[in-house]
Amino acid sequence: MPHERAGHPAQARSLFNPATVIAVGAIALTFLGLSILFSASAWFKQGPYYYLNKQLIGVVAAAVLCFVVSRIDLDYARRYAWWIAGALGVMLVLVLIPHVGIEVKGSKRWLGVGSLRLQVSEFAKLGLVFCLAHYLALNQTRLGEFKRGYLIPLGLVFGFAGLVVLEPDFGTAALIIAVGLALLFMAGAKWRYIAPTAIAVVGAFSLLVMFTPNRLRRMMEFLSEEKSYQLRQALAAFAAGGTEGTGLGQGRQQLSYLPEAHTDFIFSVVGEELGLGFTLGVVAVFTMIFIAGLVHLRRAPNMFQFLLVLGSVLLICVQAIVNLGVVTGIFPTKGMSLPFISAGLSNLLLMGMLVGIILNTQRTWGRAVLPERGRAMREVLA
Amino acid sequence: MSKGFASNYRIVLLATVCFGSFGAVAARLVWLQIVDREKLVASIARTRQSATPIPEIARRGDILDARGGVLATSSPRLAVGLDPWALLKRDEPKWSQLAALLQITEADIAAAARRRFRDEPTVTRSPVVKTDPSTGRLTINLTPPVIVEDDDDDDATDTPEESGRKQVRWTVLAKEVSEQTYAEIVKLGVKGVRGERAYRRVYPNNQLAAHLLGYVNRQQDAAAGVEAQYDFYLRGQQGWRVSERDGRGGELPQFLTRRVAPAHGYHVQLSIDLIVQDIVEQELAHLGEKYRPAKASIIVSDPQTGFILGLGNYPTFDLNAYNKVPAAEMARMKNVAVADSYEPGSVFKIVPAAAALEERLVTVGRVFDCTIERVVHRGTNVSLPAEDHPMGDLTLAEIISRSSNKGAAQLGLLLGEEKLHRYAQAFGFGRKLGFPVGGEVAGTLHHWKKWYPIDITRITMGHSVSSTVLQMHQAMSVIAADGVLLRPQLVRQIRDAANDVVLRYDRTEIGRAVSPETARTVAAMLVGVTRKGEGGRPGGTAPEAAIEGFDVAGKTGTSQKLIDGAYSKKHHVASFVGFFPAGRPQVVISVIVDDADHMAPGGVAYGSKVAAPSFKRIGERLIPILNIQAASRPAPPRLLAAQTGGRR
Repeated sequence: MPHERAGHPAQARSLFNPATVIAVGAIALTFLGLSILFSASAWFKQGPYYYLNKQLIGVVAAAVLCFVVSRIDLDYARRYAWWIAGALGVMLVLVLIPHVGIEVKGSKRWLGVGSLRLQVSEFAKLGLVFCLAHYLALNQTRLGEFKRGYLIPLGLVFGFAGLVVLEPDFGTAALIIAVGLALLFMAGAKWRYIAPTAIAVVGAFSLLVMFTPNRLRRMMEFLSEEKSYQLRQALAAFAAGGTEGTGLGQGRQQLSYLPEAHTDFIFSVVGEELGLGFTLGVVAVFTMIFIAGLVHLRRAPNMFQFLLVLGSVLLICVQAIVNLGVVTGIFPTKGMSLPFISAGLSNLLLMGMLVGIILNTQRTWGRAVLPERGRAMREVLA
Repeated sequence: MSKGFASNYRIVLLATVCFGSFGAVAARLVWLQIVDREKLVASIARTRQSATPIPEIARRGDILDARGGVLATSSPRLAVGLDPWALLKRDEPKWSQLAALLQITEADIAAAARRRFRDEPTVTRSPVVKTDPSTGRLTINLTPPVIVEDDDDDDATDTPEESGRKQVRWTVLAKEVSEQTYAEIVKLGVKGVRGERAYRRVYPNNQLAAHLLGYVNRQQDAAAGVEAQYDFYLRGQQGWRVSERDGRGGELPQFLTRRVAPAHGYHVQLSIDLIVQDIVEQELAHLGEKYRPAKASIIVSDPQTGFILGLGNYPTFDLNAYNKVPAAEMARMKNVAVADSYEPGSVFKIVPAAAALEERLVTVGRVFDCTIERVVHRGTNVSLPAEDHPMGDLTLAEIISRSSNKGAAQLGLLLGEEKLHRYAQAFGFGRKLGFPVGGEVAGTLHHWKKWYPIDITRITMGHSVSSTVLQMHQAMSVIAADGVLLRPQLVRQIRDAANDVVLRYDRTEIGRAVSPETARTVAAMLVGVTRKGEGGRPGGTAPEAAIEGFDVAGKTGTSQKLIDGAYSKKHHVASFVGFFPAGRPQVVISVIVDDADHMAPGGVAYGSKVAAPSFKRIGERLIPILNIQAASRPAPPRLLAAQTGGRR
C-alpha cells in the first residue's frame, strides 16, 4: 500500500487527547440515554425494565465491540475492505428477501436469530465508509479522473444507498449518500463532479417524495403550520420542559402522547424532563465530538485512516444533526435514531465500533510505523 | 491540515456546515424552550388532561332486618366495554372469542367499534376542576361515575374533540361479567377492551319487603322506600383523587396529587323481621291466589314498642326487576298500607267503645236495645244503621263481640260529636303517624262541627271516616299498649361501616288515648269476638281467628265499598285487626283484603271469613318465632262475668 506515512511520535500518550474527549462524550451521552430511556419506557406495557435491560445489554455489547475494534490493526483489516463491503452488500440483499429479512411495520430492515435482531443498514454505513476510504486512499492521485475519481466511488455509494432505499429506509439512504459525498469531497473530488451530483440527489429525492403520497403529506405538513401529531407532541415536550425541565421521571409526553418516545424522539423527552440546559448540553457534546474529531485528524498518518476516521466522525455527527433537526422540527420527519441515546441495539453497536476506530487510531497514530511485510497473524491483533 | 489529505478550504466548508447545523439546532431549542414556550404549552394544555379529579365510589350501605339478615346490599360488579379509538385491526380475529366470552354476537362488537363519535355534542358529565379567579380556590364539580344500564351507553368517559363532536371512549359490551370471565378476556388481550368496576344494588330476597325497602334506580338514585328516605345514611360520601391521564385517557397513578378516601355508606337496620315478613308475604300470596282481591295488606307489629315486624301488600313486585313492572301495573309499587285509605268499618267500633268507657258513660254490662230504627238527634230524625243479623238487647261487650251497628251508633249518640272526634283523633285517625316510608296519607276525619246529624251513627261503625291500614292497625295497638298511641316505626338503628351504632330509634309515644284500665277492659271485650258460641249463647263474629291456648283479642270489619257514590252490596273490604295474648299483648296483626267478594263463599267477603283465618294462620306461625307466651294476666273477674254471664 503506497503513501503510508509515519505518525508523530512526539504527540503520543497524553491522557488529554481528542479521542479521549470523544470517548468521554460518548460515555456521557450513553448514560444520559440510559436514564432518559428508563423514564421514557418505564410505562410501556412490556414492563418498566424491558427497554432498559435491552439497552444495558446493548451498551455492554457495544463496549466489548469498541474494545475489539480499538485493538485491531486497521491497515491489516484494510486488506479485507472489499470483502467487508461485499458481505454487507449481500446482507442488504438478504434483508429484502421475504422470510429471510424481518419485516416490521412494512419495512424490511432486519436480519436476526431468535430475539437477536440487527439492522443491516447500520453496519452497511460503516462498511461503506471503510471501503470508500480504502478505495479513495488507493486512488488519491487519480481522483481527477472521471471514472476513478467519480464514477466508481459514486457507484459504490449509490449501490449501498439504493439497496437501503428498497427496504425502504430513506433516512439511512440519505445519510449514506451525504456521508459518502462528504468523503468524496474531502478526498478531493472535483467540484464539477460533486456539485451537479449533490443537486441531482436533491432533485431525485424531491421527485421520490412527490410520488410517494405518505412522504408528500409529511413534507407538506412540515412546510405548513399544521404540524403532524407526533411532531406537535415532540415540540410540546420541549416547551413543557422549558429551562428547568419537569425532572427525571416527571415527563408526561412519553406517556402515550408521543409515539417513539424511546427511540427516534427520545431527545424531546430529554427536553421535557431535563430542560434547556441538558438539550443544549447534548448539542454541545456532539459539537465537541466533531471538533475533537477534526483536531484528531490532524495527526492522521495516511489517507485511508484519515478518511476512515473522518467518516466515523461524520457518521456520528450527521446522524445526530438529522435526528436533532427532525425532533426540533427543523427537518421533515424522518426515522433516524440519536447516537448513543436512542434505544436500539444495531445503532449502539455501530457507535461502539465508530468510537473504537477513533480510539484505535489514537493508539496507533503516535507510534512509529513498523514494517508491513511478514507479520504473523498474532501480531495483527496488537 | 498539516498533511494535505484534504485541502483546508474543504475542511473549513465541512466544519462550517456542521457547526451551522448544530448552531441551528441550539437556536431552535432556545426558541422552543424559552421564547415560544407559552404558546406551545397553551396548545398542549387542550389535548392533555392534567389534574383530573377522579371519583372513588363509596359503597352504599346495607339494609338489614332486625336480626341482621340482609335485605339490600351492594355487590361489586365488573362491566366490560371497549374504546373504539384504541381498537386494533389485528385484534379483529379475536372478536369471535370475545363475543363468546361475553355472550354477545360479533355484530354487537362491530357496532360498538364503529361508533366512534357521539351522535350529538352534549354536556360532558365528567368532573371539572376550576380555579376560582377571585379567590384562587380550587372548586370541584363532582358527578359520580355511573354505569348506565340503558342500551344507550353514552355515559362514557368521552373526550372532547376540537370540532365539537365528542369521541366515544367507552361503550359497554356486557354489564356484568364474572371475575373469571374477565381474567380470560384480559388473557385474550384485545387492545381497547377493558373492564370497569362499580357497585350494583342487590336485593337478595327479591320481592320481600319491596314496598318498604324501595330501590336504587339505574342512575344510582334512590327512588323509593327506605333506600330513598335513608339515602343520606346509606349512600356514603364519594371520595376523589386528583391525578393526570395519559394520551389514551388512562390514569397515571404516579401523578396522583391528592386523594380523599370514600366514606362508605351506613347500614340501616330495620325492625322488620325477615321471617315474619316472609310469613306475611306468604299469607298475602295465599290470599291473592285464593280471592284475587283488588289489593290486600298485612301488618304485624310489636304493640309495646310500635316497631313494625312485617308489612306487606298484595300485589307486589320484584325489587331486582323494578323496571320490568308494566306501566299499567305501576300500582304494584305502591305501599297501599300507608298510601291508600279505606273506610275501616266495624273495626272502628273499638274507638266509641273505649271512649264511652273512658268517659264513664257506660259500663261493660250496660244493655242497649239494638232494634231501634230511629232516634231524634240534634233535632233531626236520624235512622240508625241496619244490622247484618237481627239483634236484640245487647251488653256493651256483646255490641263489640257481635259487632252491632245500632249499638255502636248509640254509643256515639251517648258520646256526642265532639268527644267522638277527640277520641278518634287520639287513636290516630285523621292525621299522619310519621311512618317513614311509603308516602303516608292522613285519611279523612272531618271536624265534628261539619258533621251532619246522621254522621255520628255512621262514623261509629267505621263509615264516613277513612283511614290507612296502618292507622287502623295503630288504633288497635292503642288497646294492646294500655291506651298509648305509639309512633309506628320501621328503623331500629343505623350502623357505620365498622358496625358501630351511630343512631338508635326508640319507642316513641304520640300520646295517651285512654287509660290503661279502659284499654284492658276493651281488650277483654275484644276477646269475645273470637269466642265460639256455646250453650245456645251466640259467640263472637270471628271464632275463625281464635288460636288455641291463647286469648285472642280482635275485631272484624266488613265495610261496603263506595262505588260511584253509593255503598255497594257486592264490593267489600274484609278486615280483621287483633292482637294476642289479650292479657299481655305481644303482637298486633292486621289483615285487610279489598274486594275479595267474587271469590268469597256466599259472594260477600266478610272479615270473619276472609281476613280472620289469615290472622289465625299468621298468629300460629308467629308463636314460636316471637316466643309468645300463653301466660297472660288473668282478666278482671267482672269483665269475664260481663261477657259470659250476659246482662245484669
